[in-house]
Amino acid sequence: MTLPENFDFTQSNLQDYLDCPYRFYLRYIRHTQWPALIVDDALAFEQRGQTGARFHRLIQQYLLGLPEERLADQAAADPSPEVFSWWQDFLQYAPPLLEGARHVETVLSAGLNGHRLVAKYDLVLVRPDGGLTIFDWKTSQKRPKQERLLERVQTRLYRFLLVLSGGMLNGAEAIRPEQIEMNYWFTSQPELPINLPYTADQYQKDQTFFKKLVDEIAALPGEAFTRTGDLSKCRYCVYRSHCDRGVEAGDLEMFDDFLPETEENPDDLDFDQIEEIAF
Amino acid sequence: MALTSEQSRLLDHPSTRKIALVGPAGTGKTTAGTLWLKKLLESGIPANQILLFIPQRTLAKPYEDSLWDDLALSQGLVSIVTLGGLARRMLDLFWPAISSQTGVAQPDRPPQFLTLETAQYFMAHVVRPLIEEKNYFESLTINRNRIFSQILDNLNKAAFVGFPIEEIAPRLKAAWVGDVEQMHIYDDVQASALAFRSFCLEHNLLDFSLQVEIFIKYLWPLPACRSYLTQSYRHLIVDNIEEDTPVAHDVLREWLPDFDSAVVIADREAGYRFFLGADTQSAMTVVDACDETLLFEKNLVSSKDIQGLQNGFRRAVASLMGETPLQQSLPGADATRAIVTPRENPRYFPAMVNWASAEIRRLIDQGTPAGEIVVLAPFMSDVLRYTLSRKLDEYGIPHHSHRPSRALRDEPAAQTLLTFATVAFPEWGLLPQRINFAFALMQAIDPFDLVRAQLLSRYVYDERAEGFPLKPFEEVPAEVRDRITYRAGERYEQLRSWLAATLPEDDQTLDFFLNRLFGEVLSQPGFGFHNDLENANTVATLIESIQKFRWVIGDQLNHDDFSTGKEYVQMVADGVIAAQYIQPWQDAPKDSVFLAPAYTFLMRNQAVDVQFWLDIGSPAWYQRLDQPLTQPYVLSRRWKAGEVWTTEDELRAANATLLRLSLGLLNRCRQKVYLGMSEMDVSGYENRGLLLRIIQQVLLETKRGIR
Ligand code: SF4
Repeated sequence: MTLPENFDFTQSNLQDYLDCPYRFYLRYIRHTQWPALIVDDALAFEQRGQTGARFHRLIQQYLLGLPEERLADQAAADPSPEVFSWWQDFLQYAPPLLEGARHVETVLSAGLNGHRLVAKYDLVLVRPDGGLTIFDWKTSQKRPKQERLLERVQTRLYRFLLVLSGGMLNGAEAIRPEQIEMNYWFTSQPELPINLPYTADQYQKDQTFFKKLVDEIAALPGEAFTRTGDLSKCRYCVYRSHCDRGVEAGDLEMFDDFLPETEENPDDLDFDQIEEIAF
Repeated sequence: MALTSEQSRLLDHPSTRKIALVGPAGTGKTTAGTLWLKKLLESGIPANQILLFIPQRTLAKPYEDSLWDDLALSQGLVSIVTLGGLARRMLDLFWPAISSQTGVAQPDRPPQFLTLETAQYFMAHVVRPLIEEKNYFESLTINRNRIFSQILDNLNKAAFVGFPIEEIAPRLKAAWVGDVEQMHIYDDVQASALAFRSFCLEHNLLDFSLQVEIFIKYLWPLPACRSYLTQSYRHLIVDNIEEDTPVAHDVLREWLPDFDSAVVIADREAGYRFFLGADTQSAMTVVDACDETLLFEKNLVSSKDIQGLQNGFRRAVASLMGETPLQQSLPGADATRAIVTPRENPRYFPAMVNWASAEIRRLIDQGTPAGEIVVLAPFMSDVLRYTLSRKLDEYGIPHHSHRPSRALRDEPAAQTLLTFATVAFPEWGLLPQRINFAFALMQAIDPFDLVRAQLLSRYVYDERAEGFPLKPFEEVPAEVRDRITYRAGERYEQLRSWLAATLPEDDQTLDFFLNRLFGEVLSQPGFGFHNDLENANTVATLIESIQKFRWVIGDQLNHDDFSTGKEYVQMVADGVIAAQYIQPWQDAPKDSVFLAPAYTFLMRNQAVDVQFWLDIGSPAWYQRLDQPLTQPYVLSRRWKAGEVWTTEDELRAANATLLRLSLGLLNRCRQKVYLGMSEMDVSGYENRGLLLRIIQQVLLETKRGIR
């Protein structure tokens, strides 16, 4: 077992492993930060990320019931004009979808074969009809195809984990896969969210998939975390110079097509990770 | 696991009670806390309704570990918070609801949270003109950066103790007897603190003190925030409450009635974070607000002899303070058996280190696991840590150290990147000395040595250049090129042409510039960072520090002739920005000797079989830091208005500090304490401080049969 003590499996580290075992090894076992750029236009990339984070915060504040006019003021004063127009779209299209008990920024976890799976949800809605909808707000510029979303570790893990542990949100009632759907809401097409219902069959497949995956990772000796053979995975990987897989960072314009799992810092699971300043 | 009777009594309570657990360290209170947590989870309470409130993140570890023992209980995560983290989080969430009351100039914009570094930077920005133009702090000879950090310290104390920042100087002055010049210094502190606060409000900047102050003043009383917290968290566990601050205690005391259950754990004879605002007396107000208190008295850790030693310490300090010790004697305890000292104290500290290392080897040979040994000193200086590590390496003994934060400018990898930045932006006027450039080349090109790097620099680098200072390799005379090798020359050329292509505007995003320099050149095959995973982390930390600086500073001081990159580099050189390098991740090897400052060990709250206390003659075991701009006792909530701070107070404080520290260490020691000192300490001083005298007295008393 080469994994660090108390290691949590999350969508982003599992996706990293699937993309490239060596990347997983460097990032989570060796804890190597490799300070190269992910994309060529780093400033635009940073601004996109920060704009997205501010928009997420607004939604979160809305869901917590903060006065709408104050939020509108914040959206209007945002340095990026996109935020205000996203905000208006959100107010136009999202509220009808949000009827029910809201669990905002909820973290669920579950033990699986002696390992722990963890996921942080933007919103889990327990609907009046007893169903549960997982919402994920996406500010990426392109809206991916449904098939791609279905393959994503995020989609698979979030729905799977909600079956395992969602009772916590549901008065301890067991949850059946059919009660669950995942809703990706895109700022780029606010009127067309992608809704992905879950099924018992898919749940079985996910269970087999995740069990095998975490067991495999946990059993792997350090040297067996090999580099991916798929060079396209290296294009947006910071370790590319260490692996001798290219010099320049990937093209920002193509980034959304590539759809890596880095958006919105999914590893930020802890309420209190903020560096404490001793005085 | 066999439970103690106190632990069983706790678990017999229903999860609707608020119970305080009070007693010295080592009596099983934290274990009881972890068992209570499991009990809550087993009874079906969702993990996300449980709040673990602690003064410092390291103290959460036993709780996190306990959740891993039974993953079936894991359906969500217990929230772990400190007051600072809670304040920050609530500010993030509820800012729009209160921003217009806070006094910030742009309430419709989110605030910018300052790190310690960026707060220090803005403090320098505000106070430097006061020093230079208005002669503030004229009579002080300390380094300016210490002035800035002590003013911040005062602001933080005001926030954590809970008094208005306008009262900093009045409080300090009222307690001062002596030199009138000190009164002027306090006035300057006050004016600087107020100027800094105005600057922050004007620019939507929240330093740590303002985060806490706004949380306490506006968010905590806000019904939306309070009901969010009350609805989210139904069960509370607080550990080491004695190490927390008065405002944290105020919040917990008010919050307590809203919880369905609470366990509040307080260590007696502790309060090690006093200098960070910890207040043991206000902690007891939360204990008193619980339904019931369970006393944990039975020491589960220390041998009888160690407990005898503790009694000896209590007696010795009490007699120093002219008090009568309350502690009962302990039959059968022999403090001398708990202590090991060298036959005679060596003159110099390396011999002390040799002695300690040899004893560690002997212990391990005799079967003590390495993980059951710690080596402690009041401060673990670089030289002490290095000497110890080398010696332990020689013996093949696994060890790890608490690596204190280090200034990045002292790390060769970070220096290399900053050197190339100053070369790429000659307009900054900060070109490095030739030797530093050569050193950077040696780091950058692989393989390359300093002799050839110096030779190359002599021909290609012009440290007095007005423009770009690097010449092409082909301008180096042919015979010199041969010595340097063409391979190295080729690498140099790659680096030079990359640096030459720098655009002047790149200095506004120095972090990205260095990201590219690292990714496109320095970590490519043939360059020094290609396979250097350790140094990559150092560079990443540097770049992150620049990025945080840019995010905050770039927005605030954005005018045409201002270069963010140059400002950063200069501030690092001046030490205003320490660019502290704290290893981002530490997975302490399980079975290895731990080398640490005494307080760091205490705040890990883990017991070991054997402790080595080094440099026991040093006054650093009990003396407070020399801080002419602040005073932790006077700015605490314990201080009574109108009193003055005297030398007797100072002495009493030193005794109390020493007693707290030594009892805390002994409470976390099972079998033996090895005491090391040299006649000349690590800094070359001859010291025979209070700790040494107390130990001598304890030994003497023990020999006389006093237990
Ligand atoms: S560069 Fe390619 S091979 Fe190397 S870690 Fe990244 S994805 Fe894996």
